[in-house]
Amino acid sequence: MGPHHPSTHGVLRLIVTLDGEDVLDCEPVIGYLHRGMEKIAENRTTVMYVPYVSRWDYAAGMFNEAITVNAPEQLADIEVPKRAQYIRVIMLELNRIANHLLWLGPFLADVGAQTPFFYIFREREIIYDLWEAASGSRLINNNYFRVGGVSVDLPYGWIDKCLDFCDYFEPKIDEYEKLITNNPIFRRRVEGIGTITREEAINWSLSGPMLRASGVKWDLRKVDHYECYDDFDWDVQWETGGDCFARYVVRVREMRESVKILRQACAGLPGGPYENLEAKRIAEGKKSKWNDFDYQYVAKKVAPTFKIPAGEHYVRLESGKGELGVFIIGNNNVFPWRFKIRAPDFNNLQILPRLLKGMKVADIVVILGSIDVILGSVDR
Amino acid sequence: MSEAETEIVEAGKVSSWLTENGFGHEALEKDHLGVEVIKVDAEFLIPVATALYAYGFNCMQCQGGYDVGPGKELVSFYHLIKVDDNVDKPEEIRVKVFLPRENPTVSSLYWIWKGADWQERETYDMYGIVYEGHPNLKRLLMPEDWIGWPLRKDYISPDFYELQDAY
Repeated sequence: MGPHHPSTHGVLRLIVTLDGEDVLDCEPVIGYLHRGMEKIAENRTTVMYVPYVSRWDYAAGMFNEAITVNAPEQLADIEVPKRAQYIRVIMLELNRIANHLLWLGPFLADVGAQTPFFYIFREREIIYDLWEAASGSRLINNNYFRVGGVSVDLPYGWIDKCLDFCDYFEPKIDEYEKLITNNPIFRRRVEGIGTITREEAINWSLSGPMLRASGVKWDLRKVDHYECYDDFDWDVQWETGGDCFARYVVRVREMRESVKILRQACAGLPGGPYENLEAKRIAEGKKSKWNDFDYQYVAKKVAPTFKIPAGEHYVRLESGKGELGVFIIGNNNVFPWRFKIRAPDFNNLQILPRLLKGMKVADIVVILGSIDVILGSVDR
Repeated sequence: MSEAETEIVEAGKVSSWLTENGFGHEALEKDHLGVEVIKVDAEFLIPVATALYAYGFNCMQCQGGYDVGPGKELVSFYHLIKVDDNVDKPEEIRVKVFLPRENPTVSSLYWIWKGADWQERETYDMYGIVYEGHPNLKRLLMPEDWIGWPLRKDYISPDFYELQDAY
C-alpha cells in the first residue's frame, strides 16, 4: 500500500501481509520525504533556519518555529516579554485548531464521509487569513517566531478578527459533533478499533492525543509550564477508551479548549490590541509605561551573528500531534553542533504494526488516520 | 571545556541511588535545564537501564546520537522520564554511552522501552551505531543501499551537485 495511496497521508508505504481480509503483519516504510533537516540545521544560524522548519510538519508550521527558537533561546537564558508570550500562545492555539481540523477532515474521508472535508477547509481558511495578515504567509513559511519574541507585532484590528473567528468557530464545533459523533456508521467504524492500553502507550513513547486517549492525563503545557499557559483557565482533555473513537473525542474537545485559551489570551494581551497600544504610546510620549519590556513583541532583537552558547539540553512543547522536542548542543558558535528533532508523529507511528495485526484490511486506513501523521514530520 | 572536565561533579538524586545499589556509572555535569546526565559503559547499559526502569522511568522520551568530533567518539543518548497523571516537574535523566568510532556497538533497549524501535533505527541510519538485539535494525530514512553515515562530522556527501560544475 502506498507510497502514493491517498489514505496514507503523504508518502508512507505499508508492506502488508494478508490472509484474505485479515492483516497478518505490516511493515511501514518511510523516508521518501527525508531532506536531512538535522544536517541542514548544523550549518544554519537560528534566523536562517526558521524558514526551513515549517516544512517538517507542514500542518503545524508555528509549532515547529516555536521549538526552533525555544531551544537556543532557553540555552542563552533570553527572557521573553509577556506580550510576546501571549502573541505566541495565540498563534500556537490557532495552529492547534488548524492541525486538528486538518486531521478531522481526512480522517472522516478515510472512514467514508466526504462532507466534513469541505467544512474543515472553510474554517481553516480563516485561520490562514489571520496568519497571512500577521506574518505574510498562510500554510507554511510564516517565519514569524524569533529568538526573544516574534518578528512583528500584530497588525491593526487583528485581535478583533481573532475574536470574530472564535465566535464563528465555536458553534461550528457543535455542528461537527452533530454531524459526526453519534453517527452510527462512524461509530461502528471507529469504536473498539486500534485499542492501546495505558501501559503500552507510555512504553511506546506515544504523546499528545494518542497518549491522552489511552487514559494518561499528560499535557506538556501543564507539565512544563512553558510560555504563559499558566495564566489561563483550561483543562487537559483525556479519555480512557484508548481506541480510535477516544482519539477523535480528545481532539474535538481540544479544539474547544483552544478556543477557550484564545479568548482569554486575546482579552489578556498585555498592552491590548496594537492600534490601542500605539495610540497610548504616542499620547504619553517616550517615557510612557507602555514602552516597558513586558509590552514589547520581542526582547532586544538578537544580532544575526547570535552565538548559541556552549551547553546542551532537551526542550519540548505540546504540538497538535504530541510532543515536539529538540535536543540541541551548542559550542559557542553561530551554528548548533547537534540539532536532534524529536517529532511527535514519528514516535506515534512506530506502534502501527502492533495495532494492525489481526485487524481487517478496511481498518488499516482508519487506524492509520487516527494516529495523525504528516510525513514531512515523520521523515524530516 | 578542560576546566569543566576537571571540576568534580556532584552526583544527583538518581545517580546516588544507582551508586547505593551498586550500578557503576559516572555522573556528568547537569545540563542547562538541570537534568541529570550520567555516563554508562556500553557493556553495563542493559543492567543500568533495567535498574532505571525499576526506579520508575517508564518512558524513553527521546533517543538519539551525536558525534563528539572528527576522530572522536560517537554518543548514543537516552532521555528518560516518568510519565504519569497530573505531574508537575517530572523526574528526568539522560543516559549517555560513549562508543569508539571504529566499532560503535551497544545493546538495544527495545526490549525495555518499545519506543526505542524507530529511534534506534534512525540513530543507526545516521551514525552507524549498531544496536545489538534490535529486532529490525536496518536503514529507516535513507535508502537501503546508501553508503556512509550522514550525520557523522567526517561525512562527505557523494556526488554533491555543484551548480558551477553543470554543463
